[in-house]
Amino acid sequence: MIETTVQAIITGVMMGAIYALIALGLSIIFGVMNVVNFAHGDFVMFSMYLTFTIGTLLVWDSVQTPLLTVPIMFVFGLLIYYLIIDRTLGQFWVMQFAATVGLQILMRSAALIIWKGQPRALQYSIIQGSIHIGPFTILTSRLVAAAVSLIVIGGMALFLNKTWAGAAMRAASDDLGAASLMGVNRRRTYGLTFAIGSSLTAVAAALLMSFQQIDPTGGMRFGLLSWCVLALAGLGSLPGLLAAGIIVGITESLAVSFYDPRIRPLAIYAIFILVLWLRPKGLFGRR
Amino acid sequence: MESPLLTVSSLTVKFGSLVAVNAASLDVNRGEIVGLIGPNGAGKTTLFNAITGLVKPASGRVTFKGVDITGLRPDKVCKQGMSRTFQVTRAFAHMTVEDAVRVGAYNRCSEATVRQKVDQVVAQCGLSEVRQRACGDLGLAPLRRVELARALATGPEILLLDETGAGLTATELTSFMDLLLELNQAQEITLVVVEHVMQMVMGICQRLFVLESGSMIATGSPAEIGKNQAVIEAYLGKRGMTA
Amino acid sequence: MNKSKRILSGRNLAGSIVLAAAALVPLVLGHSQYNMILATTVMLYAVLATAWNIIGGIGGQFDLAAGAYVGLGAFVTGTLLTRWNITPWLGMLVAGAVAALFAASVGFPLFGFKIRDLWYSLSSSALVEVLRVVFLMWAAVGGPTERYLGGSGSQLYRMRFGTYIPYYYLLLVMLVISLVLVNRIRQSKLGFSLLALGEDEDAAEVLGVNVRASKLKALMIYAFIAGMVGGIYACIYGYIHPSFFATDLSMEVAILGIVGGLGITWGPATAALIFVSMREFLRARLGGEMAGLYLVVYAIVLILVALYQPLGLAPLAMRGIERLKSMMGVKQRGITSAHGK
Repeated sequence: MIETTVQAIITGVMMGAIYALIALGLSIIFGVMNVVNFAHGDFVMFSMYLTFTIGTLLVWDSVQTPLLTVPIMFVFGLLIYYLIIDRTLGQFWVMQFAATVGLQILMRSAALIIWKGQPRALQYSIIQGSIHIGPFTILTSRLVAAAVSLIVIGGMALFLNKTWAGAAMRAASDDLGAASLMGVNRRRTYGLTFAIGSSLTAVAAALLMSFQQIDPTGGMRFGLLSWCVLALAGLGSLPGLLAAGIIVGITESLAVSFYDPRIRPLAIYAIFILVLWLRPKGLFGRR
Repeated sequence: MESPLLTVSSLTVKFGSLVAVNAASLDVNRGEIVGLIGPNGAGKTTLFNAITGLVKPASGRVTFKGVDITGLRPDKVCKQGMSRTFQVTRAFAHMTVEDAVRVGAYNRCSEATVRQKVDQVVAQCGLSEVRQRACGDLGLAPLRRVELARALATGPEILLLDETGAGLTATELTSFMDLLLELNQAQEITLVVVEHVMQMVMGICQRLFVLESGSMIATGSPAEIGKNQAVIEAYLGKRGMTA
Repeated sequence: MNKSKRILSGRNLAGSIVLAAAALVPLVLGHSQYNMILATTVMLYAVLATAWNIIGGIGGQFDLAAGAYVGLGAFVTGTLLTRWNITPWLGMLVAGAVAALFAASVGFPLFGFKIRDLWYSLSSSALVEVLRVVFLMWAAVGGPTERYLGGSGSQLYRMRFGTYIPYYYLLLVMLVISLVLVNRIRQSKLGFSLLALGEDEDAAEVLGVNVRASKLKALMIYAFIAGMVGGIYACIYGYIHPSFFATDLSMEVAILGIVGGLGITWGPATAALIFVSMREFLRARLGGEMAGLYLVVYAIVLILVALYQPLGLAPLAMRGIERLKSMMGVKQRGITSAHGK
């Protein structure tokens, strides 16, 4: 019983780091631009399929795929921003809602066309095997993924704090008016933000594809997951996001270990509702 | 002598560690027109928010018609007979004037009588000409009347008006003041008025409360307040401190 | 007062003519099974989207859980019939009640805490999937295989007809009821309260509007209708399955409601007519070659409408009609307020 618990916690922590990374793009977009991207989960799904295609075509391992997938998703993000999102800013919320829901349908059906609705997985990964510490098993793939997630999240924090672009993004999220007075160009900053959010999903995708498969319904799963983590974390704190991810990871892991793997969506949904009910600002939110 | 219609006892409102309202007390008798004045940022609107239930006070009590309404939800406060307007006009921008008034009218009226009430209030507030126009299309003066009309339609015994005089021209102000006086005298509606516009304060208020930095610093008739040292300092700053 | 005049207004007259025409559809199309399926599907979405209008268009809460209520309705009706031989004519009503109660229990905490509307939309979209998973695991009533409806009694009793025509008429009746309901609500205290809180919740509260109660009422009415539709759905298919908890359906209902015109009575039904027909048309043409291409086209159209006419096509149509009327010298009526959010 204790063993199961500890094992679940270990797995949960690792998955939690990955969940934080999945939610990171969303957190940045929502935090800086106040944009609700209903299609975020489908961005992740799309990135994962893209990873599959590139990995299979070029016989690359999933760790190499970001070399291509990240730039592709970056450009994709820019496109979506300028074509769609930009137009919805400052208008009735219904516009953004309908447009991003439409986008969700679009991406899901595109995935259906290109990849025929089949679940796909990468054949081959350098990262294999597991580490054993006493009675506990740590799958290497999860460990690597968690470590990379931490690095990326840390890198993002550095970017936001130490670069001008990052400062511009932070300023824009606090007070766009003041920021624009100081030379921050709204469109460019927002476009960059959205593109970064989009390319982060590509990174998460590469990690996920090293041990998971993807199907078109994945978008919904990752979407719920991201919003749940985000709600729990609140806005404005990257460490908070990580902590929230880990909490979700552990809770989900415990639920799955002690009950049934299929209960996963229910566990996440329960957390989501509880957070909204009890602490809508999130645990670590500044806003 | 009848006990006051509205009593606020030692009300304190905090936002985090910031004390917006500090143990403020005031009382309003039935039929009076009471003014609440003070420099900008003194906490007047916050006090209104706490009285009407939009914000929960940290401590203190609000008693209305002998009933403790502290922290009661705004719609329940309204049912009790207290209504208010807002400082920044919170118009129902996409609704027509008569529809906006109708929202308030449903507070007391049933479906059968609601249209009649709307007609009556619209006429009384001089909005007949614009009643079918969208609130978002109106200029400031008619918009203020709409705010008043909405609140009036709820059938209140006491009306809390938050800076309804600001930005009005002299003529608009006078006719607005006439309307308020009529409401007070003919319909016996008690008024509590937050104001900066001195003409309105001196013109219609019978008693004043002065709020500064969250604390009540003086109370009395307009004449008395005009001579009160603390009040003068609050508005003009302490003399003899200039470099 | 002017009530009789209102009922006979141009808009309602046009609507009545359309509904009468709709009643004649089976006479024209009845011979073709495919066409009847199409007509019934359009009617299904029309009812759902019209009901959605209550919570979404008037209430301003963009609910994405239509599939949850439809699914629940289907399972309740199907199980009542199969286990206890209760006729779906009754089962539908129970289904509606169950859906409404369920919606209320989920909505209650959410509406109480002044959460931004986006969280309502997000959590409602998750709800559908969660229910699907739960019913997949719930062996007693659900499970991964289709559960065929049982029951004994006449076709009429079990609501299992050989053709689509009776279901079409049933849904048509529900559409009429829904349209009348939406119209009545817009002219009632509930409607005005909802519109007001959609504009400014604080201002509405201060005027005596019970925000939470109003939202819950709207939600429950909509969920009740959706639940009933779910019951009909089960009878049409002849079985129940967790796939009835469909996310795609939920999103389409919301989008139809938005595109049709928020708060406009006949808007969503018209949108259903146009878009669902278009979708099926596309599916027939393109579906064979590339499953999903029709969805892509559909999605693009929706995005375009969202970007360029977010208040829906109905206001556009109405402005067009008003312009036509003024050109013909007919006296204008004020455009009824229907807010966009």
